[in-house]
Amino acid sequence: MAGMCCGVVGEADTPSTVEPSGGRQGRRRRMEIHQLKFLAAAASDEVAPMPDKARKRRKVENLETIEKSVTGKSLIIPAACEKVVQPCDMMRKEDSRLESSSETEILLNSCKSMSETIVETLQHEEESRFGLTMVCGRRRDMEDAVAVKPLFCGDLHFYGVYDGHGCSHVATKCKDRMHEIVKDEVENRGESPEWKDTLATSFSRMDKEVTEWSEGASISNCRCELQTPQCDAVGSTAVVAVVTPEKIVVSNCGDSRAVLCRNGVAIPLSSDHKPDRPDELARIEEAGGRVIYWDGARVLGVLAMSRAIGDNYLKPYVIPEPEVTVTERTAEDECLILASDGLWDVVSNDVACNVARMCLSSQTPASPLRSPGNEVNVAGGESSDKACSDASILLTKLALARRSSDNVSVVVVDLRRNQKHVPN
Amino acid sequence: MTTPENTYRHPFHSFFDCWLVELNNNLEKLVSAANHHHEDDDINDDPDSYSLIDKAVGHYEEYYKAKSDGANDVLSMFLPPWLTTLEDSFLWIGGWRPTTAVHLLYSKSGIQLEARLADLVPQLNCRDLGDLTSNQMKRIDELQKKTIGEERVISEKMARLQESAADTSMVDLSNMESEMIRKNEYHGRKDSDEKVESALNGKNDKLVEMLRMADGLRIETLKSVVEILTPLQAMYFLIAAAELHLRLHDWGMKKDAA
Repeated sequence: MAGMCCGVVGEADTPSTVEPSGGRQGRRRRMEIHQLKFLAAAASDEVAPMPDKARKRRKVENLETIEKSVTGKSLIIPAACEKVVQPCDMMRKEDSRLESSSETEILLNSCKSMSETIVETLQHEEESRFGLTMVCGRRRDMEDAVAVKPLFCGDLHFYGVYDGHGCSHVATKCKDRMHEIVKDEVENRGESPEWKDTLATSFSRMDKEVTEWSEGASISNCRCELQTPQCDAVGSTAVVAVVTPEKIVVSNCGDSRAVLCRNGVAIPLSSDHKPDRPDELARIEEAGGRVIYWDGARVLGVLAMSRAIGDNYLKPYVIPEPEVTVTERTAEDECLILASDGLWDVVSNDVACNVARMCLSSQTPASPLRSPGNEVNVAGGESSDKACSDASILLTKLALARRSSDNVSVVVVDLRRNQKHVPN
Repeated sequence: MTTPENTYRHPFHSFFDCWLVELNNNLEKLVSAANHHHEDDDINDDPDSYSLIDKAVGHYEEYYKAKSDGANDVLSMFLPPWLTTLEDSFLWIGGWRPTTAVHLLYSKSGIQLEARLADLVPQLNCRDLGDLTSNQMKRIDELQKKTIGEERVISEKMARLQESAADTSMVDLSNMESEMIRKNEYHGRKDSDEKVESALNGKNDKLVEMLRMADGLRIETLKSVVEILTPLQAMYFLIAAAELHLRLHDWGMKKDAA
């Protein structure tokens, strides 16, 4: 296996990551890659039968910081290729107290076993390089959820950021289901689907599922305990990006945001649904609702966004209908940043774009301090994944530095083509 | 740190004054070590830095040990006369709220990161708190989740204890004694005193237990943060903690004196 594809999928009893306290980022990272350890196929039976079983066990996930990025090849991803991996250093027990609390489990979504030749020919079209960071930050509850699904449907990649309110169960539900629904809708439409309709239908189905699930659910560990009417007051933003070899399709509902960095310029691919956005205000008032300024503009004085998944009690003023943008990819595209308002409230599109570019362009050469010892070679693709990871972590730290008072979730996707094997 | 001569000084008060002096000493040593080693790559392998960190953490442990030794006077531990009213207002079950440690870390980390980004050529490898790795961020986030959970458990226990101030035996006792006062039945008082004493002792024991749990979580959180950090980062964290502790006390003193 030359590389692998990792994604945090849910909570399980994996011991927590423990890092050597004196470590240096780059070396640690390479060591982790080196130390990725395959568990026996038998073990993977326990966790890998992915979507359904994992989904059932999943509840509120407070944290995911995935530092590895995903490299997948559409041509060679049989389901059987899925394996469970854990960085070895997760097994270390420097701090036993942390162990019980860890709920993360890294699952190998796909694997790359093809020859380097094929990799070189195909990877610029097929692979997904991303970095993802999520922290609870200065909040006492984690209500964000993120889904990254490379090659979720043919050669398409899926990235979704969901920022819940009221409780986290709608965001979690979106994280578990949205990509499956989108996949279903894409497949129903066959070749070259009409994206706006595909995603609008997907969002609407997602909203219905959340509503039905809330009505029918009896077992839950939610803070809201799924009791009506409280449960009706739960919802989530959803910003979803489907990246195809030619296009970037962004579908948005709420105030999470997707920003494209193209040749140093930040281009927002979504427009926040705030109740005081003139067209949204008009829509709400036309539907008979009101926007009341109480700690900012709020629909009926309650919700500080004008569209969301869930939030039954605010319908029809708050709607799950997304706005969809379809952008042709160009050679000048650098990266795509998806994040919750924990980032955007304190970091402008331009600054975020610059920070991400800085990380992507500085393919940090190995420091002489790092031991060159028996570590696995870091392929070009993986270093650039590290760059995405560096970008997402730096943006998250910047948000915290700028006193973001919310949960912060950041996904950075590298969109550059033919960069993988360029040294530096 | 002065108290009017004529007021009663709790024995813990003198300990606390000495403890603050020592905290200040540790702070200055940490500052000098961190400055001295700032450009030095070896700080993370330097046994002296470890012993300095251990000493600083040990100093907090001493504080909690002294508190639990003095726990027979648990009531004053809940509203410590050696603290200022400003400090009192931030108290959670007799001390700082454990999750404050994570916020302190995020604040200091942010300050160090921003200081660097302000430079025209950002030095992204200072290895101070601005350089938290993604693994460290992840572990801090896990620690925060866990600590919030434990805070909630303890807060819930505390809520039950506070509600028990009006449990049946307390209400019954207060009524019996009020009746006796009304009827001038002084001869019954001794018997009743014992019942009151026993009821209050029960509460006292529970308060001791609460304080033990809260202090335990405080020191555990502090140690966990330090363990996640590299020695240099741990120094910066302990420096920030001591500075906040000492200055908050000073500010409170000024306010109280005004």
